[in-house]
Amino acid sequence: MAAVAAIETDGLVKRFGETLAVDDLSMRVEQGAVRGLLGRNGAGKTTVFRILFGLLRPESGSVRLFGRDAKPDDVLVRDGIAGFVEEPRFYPYLSARRNLELLGQLDGDHRHDAGDLLELVGLGTHVGQKVGNFSTGMRQRLGLAASLLRRPRLLLLDEPTIGLDPASAATVRALIRQLADHGVTVFLSSHNMSEVDELCDTVVIVDRGRVVWDGTLERLRHEAPAPAYTLVTTDDGRAFELGRERARLDVTFADRGRRLTVRADDAARNDYVVALGRAGIAVQLLEPVAAPLEALFEQLTGGEPTSAER
Amino acid sequence: MSVLAPPEPIAVERIRRDLPGTATVLRVELAKLREQLAMRVLLAVCVLAPLGFATVMRIQGAVPADTLFGRWAKTTGFASPLTVLGFAGSWGFPLLAGIVAGDMFSSEDRYGTWKTLLTRSCSRGVVFAGKGLAACVCAIVGVCVLALSGLVSSVLLVDTDPLVGLSGQLVSPGRAVALVLSSWAYSLLPVLSFVALGLMLSVVTRSGIAGVLGPPVVALVMQLLTLLGPGEIVRAVLPTTPFDGWHGLFVEPVHARPVFQGAETSIVYTGVFLAVAWHVFSRRAIAGSEAVPHRRRQVQLRTAIGATAVVVLLAAGSGWGPTDITAKRLERTITPTFERLVVLQYRWRTDRDPGNATLHAITTCRRGGGSRPARGAGDDWTCVVKLVSPELTAKSMTLDLTVRPNGCYTAQAPPSIIGPLVLRDARGKAFVNPLFAFDGCFGTT
Repeated sequence: MAAVAAIETDGLVKRFGETLAVDDLSMRVEQGAVRGLLGRNGAGKTTVFRILFGLLRPESGSVRLFGRDAKPDDVLVRDGIAGFVEEPRFYPYLSARRNLELLGQLDGDHRHDAGDLLELVGLGTHVGQKVGNFSTGMRQRLGLAASLLRRPRLLLLDEPTIGLDPASAATVRALIRQLADHGVTVFLSSHNMSEVDELCDTVVIVDRGRVVWDGTLERLRHEAPAPAYTLVTTDDGRAFELGRERARLDVTFADRGRRLTVRADDAARNDYVVALGRAGIAVQLLEPVAAPLEALFEQLTGGEPTSAER
Repeated sequence: MSVLAPPEPIAVERIRRDLPGTATVLRVELAKLREQLAMRVLLAVCVLAPLGFATVMRIQGAVPADTLFGRWAKTTGFASPLTVLGFAGSWGFPLLAGIVAGDMFSSEDRYGTWKTLLTRSCSRGVVFAGKGLAACVCAIVGVCVLALSGLVSSVLLVDTDPLVGLSGQLVSPGRAVALVLSSWAYSLLPVLSFVALGLMLSVVTRSGIAGVLGPPVVALVMQLLTLLGPGEIVRAVLPTTPFDGWHGLFVEPVHARPVFQGAETSIVYTGVFLAVAWHVFSRRAIAGSEAVPHRRRQVQLRTAIGATAVVVLLAAGSGWGPTDITAKRLERTITPTFERLVVLQYRWRTDRDPGNATLHAITTCRRGGGSRPARGAGDDWTCVVKLVSPELTAKSMTLDLTVRPNGCYTAQAPPSIIGPLVLRDARGKAFVNPLFAFDGCFGTT
């Protein structure tokens, strides 16, 4: 018998007026997995999170959390499920500690000390500071602390590192990884492909509210197109001709003929560069255009790559 | 326990039964309110406003004679809390209700914290009940603080002399305390109906401005509606009418019907407002910014159209039904009141009881010098009172009356007959002439 999934949605549909935000979305998140939800802005990611949290009622379809039907406002079924949607929000006139203390009361238990959690997310020196004075990144970390307050077994994180500086983002990613190592199921959305690559075991890619790809990151890498590079040489015309003759390599003019775009795997690209040198053509610039995962993302969603690294 | 302790593995077995209830949400909401400057300012105003009023009454010469019990504000400490209660019923209580309730739900929209609040372990029902109760608790505390501050400060700063009631009867200090506290306690019911109105506006409009200013604006519109027509039907069903119910407690014999009717009206409005608020709140989608503005504009537009339609309907119906303000009723209430006040004036002036002396008054009232139908509120009423007593020569005088839509009136007597505003007793001590001008009420509901 298959293990009970942490999240199982079946045929979810949600409209906002004329806009179809989620269109027949079915997916599973296995217990203990770290699963990513990818999609362009407006693809329906946040709406999915809101439905999972019970903040929105889908027009049709069902949500099962740990094997139980999760109707909106069913707090019993959502016990131990934590996280945040979009930017976490708190009461600005209260301190970080007081916010967590009050939220802890609304969770019905006080198994975690607010101070410990704030220390854990790097806000140990801001416990008494009013949240109204917090930066976006600090609120993001406070959101994570508020999630941990619930001793989650399932974390739903919508863009958990957005607005964070690189060091803070790395800290948050490390924390998520630690939680996952302790058996917490994590379902996160992100624009950052390298983050997904680092954290997730499996991903779901959505476009216009529909699942367009679902599988492991390993499979995603396998299906990803060859990486693309921008190439500038001392003689782009001859470099183009030389490239056209080579197997496993695709070369095209880009930027109105001012540069070349080369698609090739690592070995073919290296051979091509050596061949250019032998032909007396100096390579002035060779840089990646898009990582393979981003390229596949672009291909699947028909949109611009949205990597935060770019 | 470590923050990163592994979660319990099997979901079904982990289901808890000890979820936080309404009391927890109430505690959390009260803790949030305590931290807000507006609530602290409100509490300070509730303590200081009656104290300031009593202080001003003590040090200045004039009294707010155009307000019920106002003319006795320098005579007895039991008058000021009732004057404050009269003011509060007009706009103070609706404003208080708006402040404590009008931002209770909309503040979560403003801070964007619905998604924080509703993803904890509390159902919407519990959150709704907790927030509603928190608003009620704040309103009750505000009203109680106003009442106690008013009573204690005016008793300490003025005096504990008996109070002249609305039928000219003398109310002993002990009974006056009980009646003052009862009046304030009764006023909690209409206050709570306005709290419910504030909560409803807060939920429906998601706007703190609409929620806070809505109740006082509604109260103002309701008061204007009572001035439009003499009909009793619309006046009886307005949510502001119960604020006048306590007047009946100061009439002799006590007129309890307005109290009960006001309580019923307030309870019905409270129920209706809360039901509408819950209907909207329980179905609300906590959607992102992309979904909110379109629907919000629709809701605000519908609310505005609905409110305008109700006001127009009430205005159109302000003349419906009979009026309880008639010459007969005025005559029936003024006659015993005047008789009692004549005796009271005699007692204060001479320091003697009139004993077995019999006094009989005959009153005839009309409106606009007889040119208008003798019914309805207005300031053009006159009543001719003829005093008949074996010990006195028969005296006749004309009282000028202002009769308000709530059934209370102020009668002004000619000084040439009843004496000046301030008289002196046999020992030379000054006192306010109870006949110079006097207030009275008769139930209109």
